[in-house]
Amino acid sequence: MKRVAAVMALVLMLALVLPGCAEDTGTEGGGTDATSSEDTIIIGSALCQTGIQAPLDEPALRGAQLAVDVLNENGGILGKQVKLVAMDGKSDPVTVGNVAKQLIDNGAAAIIAPSDFDFGGPASQAAQDAGLVGISPCASSPLYGSAALGDKQFTMSMWNTTMGAVTAEYAYNELGYRSVYVITDDFIDYTKSLSKYFIVAFEDLGGEVIFEDTYTQGQADVSAQLARIKALDKQPDFIYVSSYMPDLSLIIRTLRESGVTVPVVGGDSYDDPALFEALGAEYGSDVYFDTHGFMSDEGNPNYTEFAEAYEAKFGDAPDALWILPGYDAVMVLAKAMEEAGSTDGAEMAKAMEETTFDLLTGELDWSDAASGHEPNKAAALVKLTAGKPEFLGWKVPEKLPAP
Amino acid sequence: MIDLEFVINTLSLGSLYALLALGLVLVYGILKLVNFAYGEYVMVGGYALYIAATLLGMPWYVTLVIAVLAAVVVSYLTELVAFRPVRNKSANAQIITSFAVSIFLQNVVLILISSRARAVQLPFFFSKTVTIAGATTPVRNLLIIAVTAVLLVTLSVVMKKTVLGMAMRAASDKFTTTRLMGVPANLVISAAFLISGLLAGVASIFWVSRSASVDPLTGAAPLLIAFIAVVIGGMHSTVGAVVGGFVYGLIFNLLSITLPASMISYRDAFMFVLVVLFLLFRPAGIIKGGYTEERVG
Repeated sequence: MKRVAAVMALVLMLALVLPGCAEDTGTEGGGTDATSSEDTIIIGSALCQTGIQAPLDEPALRGAQLAVDVLNENGGILGKQVKLVAMDGKSDPVTVGNVAKQLIDNGAAAIIAPSDFDFGGPASQAAQDAGLVGISPCASSPLYGSAALGDKQFTMSMWNTTMGAVTAEYAYNELGYRSVYVITDDFIDYTKSLSKYFIVAFEDLGGEVIFEDTYTQGQADVSAQLARIKALDKQPDFIYVSSYMPDLSLIIRTLRESGVTVPVVGGDSYDDPALFEALGAEYGSDVYFDTHGFMSDEGNPNYTEFAEAYEAKFGDAPDALWILPGYDAVMVLAKAMEEAGSTDGAEMAKAMEETTFDLLTGELDWSDAASGHEPNKAAALVKLTAGKPEFLGWKVPEKLPAP
Repeated sequence: MIDLEFVINTLSLGSLYALLALGLVLVYGILKLVNFAYGEYVMVGGYALYIAATLLGMPWYVTLVIAVLAAVVVSYLTELVAFRPVRNKSANAQIITSFAVSIFLQNVVLILISSRARAVQLPFFFSKTVTIAGATTPVRNLLIIAVTAVLLVTLSVVMKKTVLGMAMRAASDKFTTTRLMGVPANLVISAAFLISGLLAGVASIFWVSRSASVDPLTGAAPLLIAFIAVVIGGMHSTVGAVVGGFVYGLIFNLLSITLPASMISYRDAFMFVLVVLFLLFRPAGIIKGGYTEERVG
């Protein structure tokens, strides 16, 4: 019995220690030597593999790993092999910053930052301080850019200005909806900022916001919001829910279970097979959202090729959209290094500002540093019917709210 | 405002919270150990449901049994391999152990399954709603009330009428004396973990069914709820835990309908203020337990 306990204790300790270790995800087996930067380009990932940010970051990391393999098969970058060194940001802004500094000390030429302004910002700041490019696969806050973080910092994602405006315009112009009830998850910056720009865009069109309600991730109860919706004299044409999984499923299910059947609209956090399944055939209808891509050839003709490569590496079909921006982020860094002819941060940033990228998540070009590195990107609009996603097309808003 | 819908909501929420609180108190009563891994039993139950129902497509009655069994087995195993070796060590060692078990279990599902939430296929009737006298409510809200009532009655019979139950009650009062009377410590403690796991398992079905999904951090909220309910109701009494669960459910729902929308985010803050007030003015909780000795060991 004592021995079993000792073994278990050892396993436990390993489980605690392992996520903190640097994970060498390069293709050459055993090559953990970070000093061989003469013939290797190191890309550092401070993405969060554990904690509340992991659902977004961990798939992005897988995408990045795949992209590095694809690059190396095709001769690497600037004739050098590419190595991805990933350290766990642990969903803690301080850790993310420290991990990024450590990656830079170990010779990283660019940093991939977590997909949120609060969590990713510290990694980008560390990269900026070291004169390196930092890029977040999916941070959508308009704060994520050169204005707040520095002239070498970028996000792959459309900003929330685009994300909010696309659904506002679709609801008003195409669906003919005029009134909305907004529920905003006030737990993170992403959900608050998304609601803000959705409301600006919808009111600008002439729509009426009946009420701005809040919810906090983790409360696990929406009875208060539900009671207020039911007590309304006039039901809204639709409900805008800016929240994210796991509670997003709870919110929509509770509304539907209690007989609130008006459409539910939201942003990219809806793009989750777990949400589609959790809503199922019964509750998964009349749900609209905009996101970064669509996981089929409808969204991008290159998708199948990508999915096959992914399955060959990981053994399963891609399970979350967030793999795509992670893949794209590495491809953007690679192209920027090729265009710049070096891994110099300033040269790369200039190349990124000047190049139009053709990616899995659509075409992307950034504005210059003076105008914030605003990503010019279309949103993929998706509708759920009986729990099945349907691609409605790529949309660019006619009018963007000011960031 | 206080209509039938409110009553059903409060009773169902209270039932769920009572089950969670009771599971926590059973172990605390005997070991004087606040088991911070308790929420993970709920999480494990949820994942068992996911594997049995979503991945393997088993019939619903089998999936429910598997979910409860998984929580029971994991609860028992944690006692066996983690808590038993440190039973005679300091209280700090035990609490650290419970955190370690919690982190361990979270990382197991993180590594083996995914960091992302997984959808759970529920029994068909869990998604149905009924209208009783104008109040629309999901069927599972009524189910949890019934299931909790049956469990509480059964448990109270077991605790009062069976030898094991009497031994457990005696152990939670005066553990050393109980052992001197010839009651094996391992048996009593294992039984407490088994029942604790059973309650967590049953609660997990209803907890997970609200969002129809489970993720590695699912256990955090149930643990916090159980902890608050126990502080309100009483650390040293099983009746207190049940009362605490229902009182928590009632206060939570009252705050939900009375707080203005701008204040709703502070509902948890109000709950914590209440906890602080209880700790200051009535640290034993609503129901005071009998005499309790400090700790085993």
